[in-house]
Amino acid sequence: MSKESLEHLSSLMDGELSREAGSFLTRRLFTDDGMCEKWERFHLIRDCIRQPGSKQMVTGLSIKLSASLDAEEVPTVSAWRNNRWLKPVSGVAIAASVALMAIVVTAPQPDQVPGEGDATLVSTAAQPFVSPNTLARSPISQAASFAPAQQASSNRLNAYLLRHNQMARTAGRQGFVSFVPIVATPRHSVVEDTQDRTESTETGSESAALENR
Amino acid sequence: MKFLPGRFLLFLVSISISSVAMAGDSQQARDWLERMTAAMSQMSYQGTFVYVRDGVVETMRITHVTDETGVRERMYSVSGPHREVIRDRKGVRCVLQDAASVVEDQVVASSYFPELPLSIIDGDTSGYLLETGGEARIAGHTARRVTISPEDSFRYGYDFWLEEQTGLLLKWELFDTNHKPLAKLMFTDIAMGSSVNLDELESDAHAEDFVEMKTFGLQNTVVTGSSPRWQPAKLPPGFQLASHSHKAGADGVYEHMVYSDGLAAVSVYVEQQGIETEVKPGISQLGTNNAYTRKQGTLQITVIGEVPAITVKTIANEMALSVASN
Repeated sequence: MSKESLEHLSSLMDGELSREAGSFLTRRLFTDDGMCEKWERFHLIRDCIRQPGSKQMVTGLSIKLSASLDAEEVPTVSAWRNNRWLKPVSGVAIAASVALMAIVVTAPQPDQVPGEGDATLVSTAAQPFVSPNTLARSPISQAASFAPAQQASSNRLNAYLLRHNQMARTAGRQGFVSFVPIVATPRHSVVEDTQDRTESTETGSESAALENR
Repeated sequence: MKFLPGRFLLFLVSISISSVAMAGDSQQARDWLERMTAAMSQMSYQGTFVYVRDGVVETMRITHVTDETGVRERMYSVSGPHREVIRDRKGVRCVLQDAASVVEDQVVASSYFPELPLSIIDGDTSGYLLETGGEARIAGHTARRVTISPEDSFRYGYDFWLEEQTGLLLKWELFDTNHKPLAKLMFTDIAMGSSVNLDELESDAHAEDFVEMKTFGLQNTVVTGSSPRWQPAKLPPGFQLASHSHKAGADGVYEHMVYSDGLAAVSVYVEQQGIETEVKPGISQLGTNNAYTRKQGTLQITVIGEVPAITVKTIANEMALSVASN
């Protein structure tokens, strides 16, 4: 996909594209799988930035669109020719529909937890690394979990690590080695994912370990 | 006066000799570590290395150049999704193809705190035992082994294989208290000095394919020599404050402290809870780094470092106590 196309797609997301161009791009979205996936990814990323931890449901949008297109009756050329004035209006309407659909499906739903009551989030092929929410009660190390909803959290941790490696001059003793975990394929895992001690002031066995030294 | 039995005398002499030998070996190990520190930052080198963790082998390439413009470094994955880290005088830039994102951090000023001397990692309370070992041939170079073993469960141990002439790191192993290997890194080829190809410093990642993510509130921070607003009442033995920074301005709390035992380091971030700063509570792993995040009132505490999980969790909980009492 060309750089220009990506820029247009980004402009369409921001509502900065002209009506004609928007109409054209929207039509292309319905036929170009790659562009449709890009559109979906842009929304995921934007949503992650704005609302980390929110439930992401846009994955599979391209599949849903393709399915709806397959089921839809394709108007004949003559029908379109007879309704030329409808073209720009329908183009805008489609663009608005797609945008609305993306907004609706990415809206945060804090009461729902991925893996509970929504199997699509964990079983969609587009999210092969999503782990079920058994993590919340599991004290053991789990496999990689890089769902989009966790991407913002992971990026934040990466940012912490970048800053840590800069500030910790002792880390500099081993030079680039400190940055290797960032370049390595992410196998970011949540070993313990409970909030039961969120407000606790008890330090338990770790504190005892300090005392016993 | 009764003479000491001959066997006991022999025992005392052998103890004294071995103590002197150990002290000498420890000093030798420290000398090697000093050479390594200097070589890793001041030399120019370029090479391919393999990184092994959890049985997964990855190949990466590093180019590190030190010249009159300062230090420039680029490290990238040779196989799998394109991921790279670029460091220069502007800061650190991290390109993650699989996440279609770029994470950037501005360059950070030096700490006001004095640099921790290597001698502190060899004291009675340091938690480490230093030794030198044998020789091996790695990537066509003769290397000398230096082993740093942890003496408690708050830190990891290291095996460094250092190039005999320069002290450059050729092989690196991380292991836990039980000497169980956690990760390994080894160069398969390495070039030094003028034979480094500077073209490899240029990233071939296409910027238009990525969404840029700044490090949010991590920007505009001020490194300071002042005491942090909060400090853990207790720390694992040997750890001390090595750096402190806070965010300029009044828009929320941001405190960043680095604690180090001279070799390992942990960062403690205390931030106002918010959408941009939210991290999933609990322990997370980023490669060999452990992170622990918890909330205390309206604040979020995250401790991160290449140390065992118990260390980050202990420090975070101690910090939470401090925050709760102030």
